[in-house]
Amino acid sequence: MNLEKVVFGFFVLLAATLNFGFFIGDLGDAELHNSYELYAAVVVNLIATVLKFGDRTQIGAVHLATSLVADLQLIAAALVWGYASYVGDGLTREATASVVSLSGGALLANIVSVVLLVVETVSFHRR
Amino acid sequence: MGNPLLVFWVRLLTGEEQGQRRTRRWRVPMASATQASATIFLVMRRMRTPLIVLIAIFAVGTLGLTLIDGQDAQGRPWRMGFFDAFYVMSYTASTIGFGEIPYAFTYNQRMWVTISIYLTVVGWAYAIGSLLALVQERSFRQALALQHFTRKVRRLGEPFLLIAGYGQTGELLARSLDALGRRFVVIDSDSGRIDDLYLASYHADVPGLVADAGDPGHLAIAGLGHPYCEGVLAITDNDEANLAATQAAALLRPDLPVITRTVSPVMEARMQVFGSPTVVNPFDRFGDHLRLALRAPASFQLLTWLESGPGEPLPKRGDPPSGGHWIVCGYGRFGKEVTHDLRAEGYDVTIVEPGDAAENDPDAIVGRGYEPHVLTAVDVERAAGFVAGTDNDTTNLSLVAAAHRANPRMFIAARQNRPSSASLFAAVDLDALLVPAEVVAHEVYAQLSTPLLWRFLREMPAKGDEWADSVVGKLTNLCGKHLQSLWKVRLSAVEAPALRGVLESERVPLGDLLRSPDDREERLHTVVLLVARGDEAHLAPSDDFAVTLDDELLLVGEPAARRLLDSTLLIDATREYVLHNRHVPSSWIWRKLTRRTAGSPDRLP
Repeated sequence: MNLEKVVFGFFVLLAATLNFGFFIGDLGDAELHNSYELYAAVVVNLIATVLKFGDRTQIGAVHLATSLVADLQLIAAALVWGYASYVGDGLTREATASVVSLSGGALLANIVSVVLLVVETVSFHRR
Repeated sequence: MGNPLLVFWVRLLTGEEQGQRRTRRWRVPMASATQASATIFLVMRRMRTPLIVLIAIFAVGTLGLTLIDGQDAQGRPWRMGFFDAFYVMSYTASTIGFGEIPYAFTYNQRMWVTISIYLTVVGWAYAIGSLLALVQERSFRQALALQHFTRKVRRLGEPFLLIAGYGQTGELLARSLDALGRRFVVIDSDSGRIDDLYLASYHADVPGLVADAGDPGHLAIAGLGHPYCEGVLAITDNDEANLAATQAAALLRPDLPVITRTVSPVMEARMQVFGSPTVVNPFDRFGDHLRLALRAPASFQLLTWLESGPGEPLPKRGDPPSGGHWIVCGYGRFGKEVTHDLRAEGYDVTIVEPGDAAENDPDAIVGRGYEPHVLTAVDVERAAGFVAGTDNDTTNLSLVAAAHRANPRMFIAARQNRPSSASLFAAVDLDALLVPAEVVAHEVYAQLSTPLLWRFLREMPAKGDEWADSVVGKLTNLCGKHLQSLWKVRLSAVEAPALRGVLESERVPLGDLLRSPDDREERLHTVVLLVARGDEAHLAPSDDFAVTLDDELLLVGEPAARRLLDSTLLIDATREYVLHNRHVPSSWIWRKLTRRTAGSPDRLP
């Protein structure tokens, strides 16, 4: 067992699961989407991104790319959320919907990341 | 080639630019470029831990602030939002400290912020410290330098030479080439030499890299696969490295000319197997020069002057000894070469060698040349010449001094091994001095500067001593005691558009062409060394030599003379005045007008 692989897999999966947890539920209903969960998703995604630094393989490069996409989407979601609650007129239905749909985009990237993780593991066993 | 970066490098370095001169593309492997990108990856990998620590500390601090109960201005319970918390953490961590925003903190919050301050400051210090340590790390800086160098070489948009080895020879050569306006790229295994390269003020930007010239990957980075690379000079002081560079160039870029140096005939033979490199052997060349100096001192003077490059003073003309025998001290590679050349020239040679290297030679004496009894044994009183040719400068200086004292009339030649001894050898009175680095530099310069100069130097010795004497006289009369710049002109439609019609219709003597456009009674301060017409070459032609279309001229003279000659070649009106003493208006309108009114150009009295 490789501890590095454990940590790596843990963070990649956790990023995806947290993201999923935040995303699930009625798109416009602010009560179904916990801001702490979004916060945790952003932090775990950032850590997952840093963990993917410096991998020289082709699959490593795609890994990094998916993580960067997820970061971008989640940070955008957090910015929209912050703008809506501090500057705009509170978490309206529209604002909540755009926050959640942005995190949905990130979820897609995170799913790709998990698929890559699985592919990598499977091909590693074959070798 | 799984890595996209690797593909990227290879694609860049094999030069897929548009509009290249050569249609064939050279795929030259680039090992070191991948090493460079590997270092960047290593840096990213090393930054993982500090960055994760920083993210974690920030996350914990921010989260804590949002969870701890606070109060607003009216004392009602209030919790900080994520944005407020992140804002507070950001300015606290970076030690800016805007205060307690938006409301004064409760004690709970203050306790948490106190903990966070220490945590975040440590996190920042760790991350920034790691980054700075990485930036200062040697391997990282080398990787950066390599990338910088690679980029510079890749962007070279004009023909350049690849110089492998920036020793004494390389430096001399680089200066002469720079004075000619040529571009070059340098690699040397000694970082001190590359520092010297950056300190030396060249006109052009010279990319330099600390790398082993024997490594084909390094040669590839230095532009071996570049479409504009026009030649490789393998002139390190290590024969093996030169051979390796010659091999790499011959195998990877068979179309490129290679010039290399060695002092060993065996190595020369090994180099000749790869393509057809020009191998310069300084000992061999010095032997040839010595023969020329003995046979034709004026030819030798002209040869060394032209080889030494622009700005150099006229060398002293030697006074060759008439009869008598020669004494050669030191029978190594150099001694053998010189002995062979002197014997070929018909001199008797006595060899003085302390070891048993020369025991098969009938004229060898075992001993050291500076010992009085050895000097008596070799009959130094009646000797014509003396060669101090050991590989030790101190010994050579002793030999020269002893020989001087024993027989001041002798022709004395010495070999200088270390550059640092130059001032000592300059101080003793010598008739010929071999500095291997200079011999190689001059030889390579003569071959590279212009093909015409090389042709001139090769054909010149056959012309004889008196002829050479007259050329030296002409050069010193017109251009002074310091060698002026050399340049080449082709009397073609492109380079000499004004002359085209004249050259086709009438006989143009060289003397007329070289009249000054300011006053045609004056002669331009320039000398034509050579006129090349197809395969034939006319060396130092006289003033009534008729030039024809497409002749190539090799001239030496002041830059001002070059400009004036250019105006004769380019401007019709100047040409009319210089060749025919006619004044014609230079603008098109006036020419049309005068032709209409006068019918023909007016002739001056």
